[in-house]
Parts: sequence; structure tokens; C-alpha cells
Amino acid sequence: MWILEAKKVHKVYGNKLNKQEVLKGIDLGVSKGEFVGIMGPSGSGKTTLLNVLSSIDRVSQGTIDIEGKEFTGMKEKQLAEFRKHHLGFIFQEYNLLDTLTVKENVLLPLSITSIPKQEAHRKFEQIANELGIYELKDKYPSEISGGQKQRTSAARAFVHEPSIIFADEPTGALDSKSASDLLGKLSEMNSTRKATIVMVTHDPVAASYCSRVIFIRDGQIYTQLNKGDESRQSFFNDIIKTQGVLGGVQQ
Amino acid sequence: MSLNYIIFRNLRKNLKNYYLYVFALVFSVALYFSFVTLQYDPSMDEVAASTKGAAAIGASSVLLIVIVGIFLLYANTIFIKRRSKEIGLFQLIGLTKGRIFGILSAENSILYFGSMAIGVLIGFLASKLVLMILFKILGVDAITKLYFSPMALMQTVIVFTMMYLLIMLMNYIFIKGQSILSLFRVSATSEQQVQKMSFGQMIVGVLGIALMVYGYFVSARLFSGEAMDMQQLMYTMILILFSVILGTYLFYKGSVSFIFNLIRKSKNGYLSIHEVLSLSSIMFRMKSNALLLTIITTVSALAIGMLSLSYISYYSAEAQAKESLPEDFSFAQANVKNRFVAELEHKQIAYEEKHREPIYIEIDAHEVMDASMTEQYLFSSVLSDNMVDNIDVQPGEVVFMGYGNAIQQLISIQEKGPIVLHGLKHRLAQQLIGTTKHGVLPAYYTGGTPVAVVDETVYQQLKQDIDPELQKADRADYYGVRIVNEGQAEDAYAVYKEQQLEAPSFSQIEFRNNQRNTMGLIMFIVGFLGLTFLITSGCILYFKQMNESEEEKSSYTILRKLGFTQGNLLRGIQIKQLFNFGIPLMVGLSHSYFAVKSGWFFFGTELATPTVIVMIVYTLLYSIFGLLSVWYYKRVIKEAL
Repeated sequence: MWILEAKKVHKVYGNKLNKQEVLKGIDLGVSKGEFVGIMGPSGSGKTTLLNVLSSIDRVSQGTIDIEGKEFTGMKEKQLAEFRKHHLGFIFQEYNLLDTLTVKENVLLPLSITSIPKQEAHRKFEQIANELGIYELKDKYPSEISGGQKQRTSAARAFVHEPSIIFADEPTGALDSKSASDLLGKLSEMNSTRKATIVMVTHDPVAASYCSRVIFIRDGQIYTQLNKGDESRQSFFNDIIKTQGVLGGVQQ
Repeated sequence: MSLNYIIFRNLRKNLKNYYLYVFALVFSVALYFSFVTLQYDPSMDEVAASTKGAAAIGASSVLLIVIVGIFLLYANTIFIKRRSKEIGLFQLIGLTKGRIFGILSAENSILYFGSMAIGVLIGFLASKLVLMILFKILGVDAITKLYFSPMALMQTVIVFTMMYLLIMLMNYIFIKGQSILSLFRVSATSEQQVQKMSFGQMIVGVLGIALMVYGYFVSARLFSGEAMDMQQLMYTMILILFSVILGTYLFYKGSVSFIFNLIRKSKNGYLSIHEVLSLSSIMFRMKSNALLLTIITTVSALAIGMLSLSYISYYSAEAQAKESLPEDFSFAQANVKNRFVAELEHKQIAYEEKHREPIYIEIDAHEVMDASMTEQYLFSSVLSDNMVDNIDVQPGEVVFMGYGNAIQQLISIQEKGPIVLHGLKHRLAQQLIGTTKHGVLPAYYTGGTPVAVVDETVYQQLKQDIDPELQKADRADYYGVRIVNEGQAEDAYAVYKEQQLEAPSFSQIEFRNNQRNTMGLIMFIVGFLGLTFLITSGCILYFKQMNESEEEKSSYTILRKLGFTQGNLLRGIQIKQLFNFGIPLMVGLSHSYFAVKSGWFFFGTELATPTVIVMIVYTLLYSIFGLLSVWYYKRVIKEAL
């Protein structure tokens, strides 16, 4: 049973005279508890794919369901309601609010739901401990490192237990140590919380943490790799090989 | 942690970034409130009665609101753009656009109405000061006291509430129109593409300067070249405005980057750190802000120009009074004069009397005047040299007196040359031997034209042969009374006032006071508006710099990584700000200088001192914003690494 299902998704940019088809009919399914990576060369459409899957961009054609709810035709109000409960986001540039502390940033998604205070605090403690940011809870984003910011941003994505979490190059701005820390945490959360994660990346190391990697080229799915019971190292080698075949020069 | 809490937190934290916005808002409200209070203040009645003060203040408060309105709306666009990411994020976590608009409105309303309350308070306290300044300028001896006007409060609240609604409408349109993706991209797209200098731009650059120079050139000749009728004059003025404003626009669009490009070329690729930070950044920024800068420049030029003109007029009130009224008191009727003089004697005020009997004739002066004026005779009054002190002309010689600044611009007469005095039957060929500004008859007699002073014999000849149609019975005698001791002039004026004398009796002091009254009020209002404009435009430039500094933060990071110290960077920034604030200021000053120069003589007798004072004050106030922006940059640079 898919938790996310995309059918014949097309995305066209530009006007009548100058059309650019970025996504050319993508069919995709993600099942519950999966950690899916999306890879592809620059301009292959991977970020656009993530944007339409996560409802922050509209499709030109096709449908996308999350937990059986098709959101491609929803009105703005319904969409907001939908995001509130079903989606979490992690960005390359963190997008934390500088005016709020770490704790406040993390609790932001809960503050607009009707969860009781006690419950919210409990949830924060749990997620903050898991991600190792509990000690930072009263600091402001400007006072913590990039890796800590990204973990805060991850905590914010997880705290309201959404159906699916979208991550756009979450390690893009991090050094390798912080990156592997974060990825380790993400895959841990994936297995302990059964959280479903879809992550766009161009980094084969990051992708090797996933349970499945989808390769995109020219707006179409080129191939995909399953990790299965392989070790991370051999999965990493597979990814490198596929990338070689794909031929795209990486960013 | 509820949403309200977040709003509150956000607001408190944001206040730091918004301090200038808050300041500008408080300032605008304070200014407006004290201005409107003035309008309703009962102690203004005295001023109002003589100069229609309340009406003038009422009209300019509308202008004030326009300036403030444009500024607030502009500031709001900058601030909402700065928060676009936040808005996007709120949408991502599942807030509807309507809800976000609600949050923003609530936040803004606290900020806005909070500042408004403070502004009203400050305005209330400042209104006494403002009134004191006004009375001081006008020379009114009235006691000012704090006056609270509920009407003024209501008017302020209504006007600013409407402004708030307008701002909210703008925010609503902004939020509705943006998708989440575009919100995340807003800050990225404001950066414009850097391109190579094209040939077209060079043309634009040259054209900009050429148009401005042409405008200046025409303006300099506006009143000194050939005479024009009203319609021609109007067309010429429109031409000047058009060419200068368009020139300014093109100047920002092309000339600045054109000139900087030349400098850059001459460096041949080797740029010092200061040049990296100043030249290259300004080259590309000025272009994209051309329209805004043009508006700022034009309006500052207008403000400086008007301020200078009204100050010139205020400043030269005394000199002008002397020029147009040769003696302290002048009378056309002997009995009125006698009554006045009798009272002076009674009060033991020493005085001198002058009696002049002008006759009115036509003068053919085409040989000493411009070609365009030759068709008409010059209607002029004639005096004998016996009636004028310190002048003795030979028969056949004429001196033109009372040939002042304004008349010089309208009728240009050479210093020397042959002229012909027309009697009823005879014509007397004479030689003009000189002109002087010094006046001998009030404008009441001369109608503004110069007075011809001739030898007694010539005067008698003309008197025998006068054209009765040209004579004016009520202007046949001039009695001038000069107070010997200047310290007693005010006492004499008290007598004059006591006797309730009116035209055709004149008093120099009264003339001067009237002039100061009218021009003082105008100066006060223009000064008020100019100050508002100065502050708003300064703030706008500052906000722009605030944005720019943040957009360029990454380059500072790179430069600091390359090993440049904070001091190095700051030095470059200072140069950059010198240009950023200096160029609009210089252009504005130069515009206003030429504007003032072309017509100042209608306003007074002294050009340099008042204009320079106004310009220096304006420059000083303006540079505060430049310093503030450098200070802001300092912080950004410090945080860059």
C-alpha cells in the first residue's frame, strides 16, 4: 500500500511560445516507512519533482495522493489543512525563524494544532533528545552551528508526526561530519518511528543511507536501486556505478 | 506556546530590525499631529488673521500626508519582502494565507498603533516648540502654551488609520499573489543580472549628462535673455523641468555606471579592495534604482530650492524694504505727513524730511535697451538732482536710480548711452551716464521702473512741457521722513501705528515685518515639509542600504576569508556610502542651485548667504543617514565571518 502515489505527473514551465517540460510523466510510489532518495544530474528535475510531491508547487498534469487523499486539485485552504497534518519539510538552508529559540522553532507546527501543552512539551523532549538538541533548546538559531540548525529543522519536521517528510538537499550546506550525523539520525528516525522520508540529494554518500534510490534524467525516471540487505558500503558502490551509467556530471 | 505568543515574540525581536521604521512612523505622526494642532490652536488666530495661516497649514498638511504615505507604503514593501521566507514557512506548516494575513495585521497593528500613540505624545509635547519657532520667525510676541486639540487628535487618528488600512491592503495583495516557491525565492530574484556595458548604455549615459546641462543652460538664460511672454515662459519652464528630470533619470540609469566603468577600465583589472566594494556595487545598483533615485533627487531639489527662495526672501526683507522705500516713512499727502511729524516732535524723536516731486514722462531708450524692447517707450518718473542726496548731474546727463535686481532681469539697460526724454511737445536728447540700485521713490510712484534723475534745469524744462495725461495727481508729491537715530525707529513706528496710517503712507518697518510675516510662514511650512521629506528620503536610502548589505553579506564573507580585515572592508563601504548618498545629494543640490539662480531676484536681494546656509543644513541632516548606514554595514561585516 503506497503512502504516496504519483500518477503521470507532468510539469511545464513557461508560456505557449517558450515551453519547457521539466517533468515528463512520472509514476512513483512510496510505501510507509520507506526512506527514498531521489538523485539525478543538475537540471534533471529532481527538485521540481520534490516540490510537486510536497504540494509546494502545482502539477501541470497528473495526480498525487498522500494517504489516499489526492491533493493536486485542492483549494488553498484545504491544502493548508493537509500540510498541517500530513507533511514535514527539511530544507538545505534550514529556514528557521531567527526570532524564535530552538524549542520554539521546533514547536511551531504544533502551535497551530489543538494539541495540549503538556503533550507538546513531551513531544519536544522526545524528539529533541533523539536528535541531540535538547541542551540547545533556549538558544537562538544565530548561536548554533549549521549541523545543529539542520537537526533543529529536522526536529521541526518530525515533531507533529506527519505522514511523510520531504527533505531537499538537507546535507547540502553541511560539512561531512555534520552531514553523516544528520543522515544517521534520519535513518534512525526512519527505522524507530517508521517515518516515511523522501530526500533529494546529489551526494552518493547521503543517498546510500536510503532504503531505495530513484534516478531521474530529463524529467523521467531512469532507474531505481533497492538497498535490500546490502551493506551501506556496497549500496554506495551501486549508486556510484549507476551514476556513471547515467552520465550526468554532478554539481 | 500558542500562535499569539509567537506573534508577540516575533514582534519584540523584530523591533530591533525595525527601529528606523518605528522611528520614521513615530516621527511622521508627531510631525503631522503637531502640524495639525497648530491649525486648531487658538493662539494661531493672530497669525491666521493676517496671513491666512490656518489655510496654508491645512493645505500643506495634505502634502505632508502624501509624502508620509508614499514613504510608509514604500517602507512596508521592503519589510514585507524581508519577511517573505517567514510567510512561506508559515504556509508550509499549514497556515492558510488568510490566517497569515491575520497574524501580520495583528503584529503590524501593535507596531503601528503603538508608534502612533508615542508619536501623538511627542507631537503634543513638540507642538509648543513648533509654535515657539513659528512665532519667533514671524516676530509675534505671544505666549505659547501647551494646547491639546481633540480635533487634531481625531484627524491624526483617522488619517493614519486609513494609511494602516492601505498598508494592510498591500500586504494582502502581496500574500495572495505569491506562491510558496516564489516566497522562498523573493530575496534571490531582487538581485539583478550583471552584464557588460553596452553601446546603448554609453549613449544613455552621455545623453543623461547632456540633458541636465542643457536644462541648466536654458534656466540660466530664462530671465536674462530675450523677454518672453507668459506662455513662452511657461513652455520654457516645462522644457527645463522635462530635460532636467529626464536627464537625472538617465544619469542614474547610465551615466553613473558609464563614468565608473571608465574609471574601472583605466585600472585595467587591478581593483583595490575599496574599489571592489564601492565602484562595482554602485555601478549595478544605481541603475536598477534609477526611478526611485530620480524621484528622491527631484523632490529634494524642490525642497532645497523652495527653502532657499523663502529664506532668501525672509533674509533680505530688510534690504528689500530699504530698496523699495527709500526713507523710514513715506507720505503722499502733506497733511498726513504733518500730523505724523508733529507727533514725532512731541515725542522728541529727531527726524529729517525729504520732499520730492516726481513728474511722469516717456523715455525713448531703445539705444540702451535690448532689441526686443525697442517698440515701447519706457514710462518713467523724473526727479531733479536737487531733490536727491549725493548726486549731481550736469545738464544733458541722466542717472537711473532704483534699478534693482528684479527690474534688471525684466528690462535690461546698459550703463551708458543716448536716450531721449519725451515732453508733450519737445524732445530732449540726453546721455545716460549710469544706473544704481539705490532707490529714491517707493514703487507706489515708480510702478517699478527706474527713476530718471536729471539736472535741475532739465527738470524745469520738462515741468513746463508735461503731458497731463501721464501725470497722477495723487502721486505728485513724495514726503520722506528719515529717523536720525536708528534706535528710535521703532518708537516712530509706534506713532505711525497709533495714527492708523495706511497707503499711500508707508513705513519701512511695516514693509519689512509684512515681508517677514508672509515669507516666514511660507518658510516655516516649506521647512517643515522639507524636513519631512529629508527624513523620509533618508530613511528610504537607508532601508535600501540595509537590504543591500544583507544581499552582499556573502561577498564580505568571501573577502574576509581572503584575508581582508574588517577595517579594510569598512573603508570600502564608507567610500561606497559616500557615493550612494552623495550622488543623489550632489545632483539635488546642483538642481536646486540652478533653479534658485534662475529666479532668485524676484524674492530678495541676497543670493549666496541664505542659499549656502540652507544647503549646509540640509547636507548635515542628510549625512546622518549615511552615517547610520555605515554603522549598519559595520555590524553586517562583523557578523559576516
